[in-house]
Amino acid sequence: MSSKPTEGNPLRAFASQIWGSIFRHGLPTTDKVAARTALTNFFLHVHPVRVKKSAIRVSYTLCLGGLSFFLFILLTISGLFLMFYYIPSVDQAYQNIKDLQFVATFGLVIRNLHRWAAHGMVITVWLHMARVFYQGAYKPPREFNWAIGTFLLLITLLLSFSGYLLPWDQLAVWAITVGTNMAKYAPIAGPYTRYLLLGGRNVGQGALIRFYVLHVVALPLIGFILMVIHFWRVRKDGFTGGL
Amino acid sequence: MALNPYDTPRGKLRSRVEATRRQFLLLVGAVGALGATLFGGLELLKFMFPAATLEAPPQFKTHFTVDDLTGSGTLKVNVLSDTANRVTVVLDTIGIYAVYLVCTHLGCTPNYVSDVTSGTGVTDTAQTVAKHYNAEGGAISTRNGWACPCHGSRYFIDSTNFYGPAPRPMDWVDISMSPDKFFVVNRAAITVYRQAGDTSVPRWRLDPKTGKSNGATIGV
Repeated sequence: MSSKPTEGNPLRAFASQIWGSIFRHGLPTTDKVAARTALTNFFLHVHPVRVKKSAIRVSYTLCLGGLSFFLFILLTISGLFLMFYYIPSVDQAYQNIKDLQFVATFGLVIRNLHRWAAHGMVITVWLHMARVFYQGAYKPPREFNWAIGTFLLLITLLLSFSGYLLPWDQLAVWAITVGTNMAKYAPIAGPYTRYLLLGGRNVGQGALIRFYVLHVVALPLIGFILMVIHFWRVRKDGFTGGL
Repeated sequence: MALNPYDTPRGKLRSRVEATRRQFLLLVGAVGALGATLFGGLELLKFMFPAATLEAPPQFKTHFTVDDLTGSGTLKVNVLSDTANRVTVVLDTIGIYAVYLVCTHLGCTPNYVSDVTSGTGVTDTAQTVAKHYNAEGGAISTRNGWACPCHGSRYFIDSTNFYGPAPRPMDWVDISMSPDKFFVVNRAAITVYRQAGDTSVPRWRLDPKTGKSNGATIGV
């Protein structure tokens, strides 16, 4: 018999150990503890340990980059759900979309979430770029990150374009017909680009599987890698504070 | 006292011009690896260009027969379309021709409409309009033609563009008759290719009686 309730209770001791191994720091009581927690925690380390008070004003960045990233995460998760129902086949794709809307519980919500978040991300990325441009935040030492940002804009637009074809309705097919024919007008590389994108001469099965692979794997992966570099540079280039 | 030969003034100059064995091997290795990667990467790009596709062949047989087109008799212009294959077959007083329904703007499929000039500001009595309908002989009072749903380009019945962003007329493709009285259209064989601004009425026709074309091609 022991006097303390935890002693001699192996289950409670075990649970306490698990809790302690996950929540290692507890609530920050002092600035020093808060800084140490942020430095040693994977999720918190994305945040800077110290920021200028002027730099956390919402009107400074308007949160546009953060909003874009939030929408990217939202799109990744909702897209993952959509992939459970969607088969990139010309015979089944359109029916899968209808299934999503009328057969799967919350399918309509998730599909619309994906669609509107996609529109939203294009808007926020453009606004983010405009904000950075008008504030002159592309200037040294941030010119490298500005270049990464232009590629991220391109990835965003390509993701939007490639997702356009996947419902395989009339709008999708003709929009991609028009879009890839525009690419064809480029000098020399134009016709090759169109053939490369479509995997043939018309928008068909070859185009659908290519756009699907680009949309769900290739472009998000490239985008993710660029985002990691982008955020790393944001932290390393530091904050200038208010204007 | 032994002196490192590279520590002499002459040796320092030598070390700048000449590479050590290690530097040389590193340079050769780096250039070789980079070159191999570049070459391999470019060659791998061929993977994305299939040598054959599963697309429909350019030549196909229509689902309607020659008699379907010519048999009615009352109309001097008759039009039958195979929209899945994007080809319309037209019969006028001179003969038969096939238009490949790919809008010359950005490649959509224009729809067949019975009053193609409506809403365009182009009047039916204008001389240019009348020219494209000479073959009708007034048998059809409406103005048949094609209207593209994507950006609104319009084409007369002979595929001449007259409205919207389309830069040039749609192409005519080779059409012949099969022994069992169906049409055989070869979309890879263009018979009439007109440049931008060419509003001439092509004379190429397939004779419905003999089953032979007159060979009056344009631009091919």
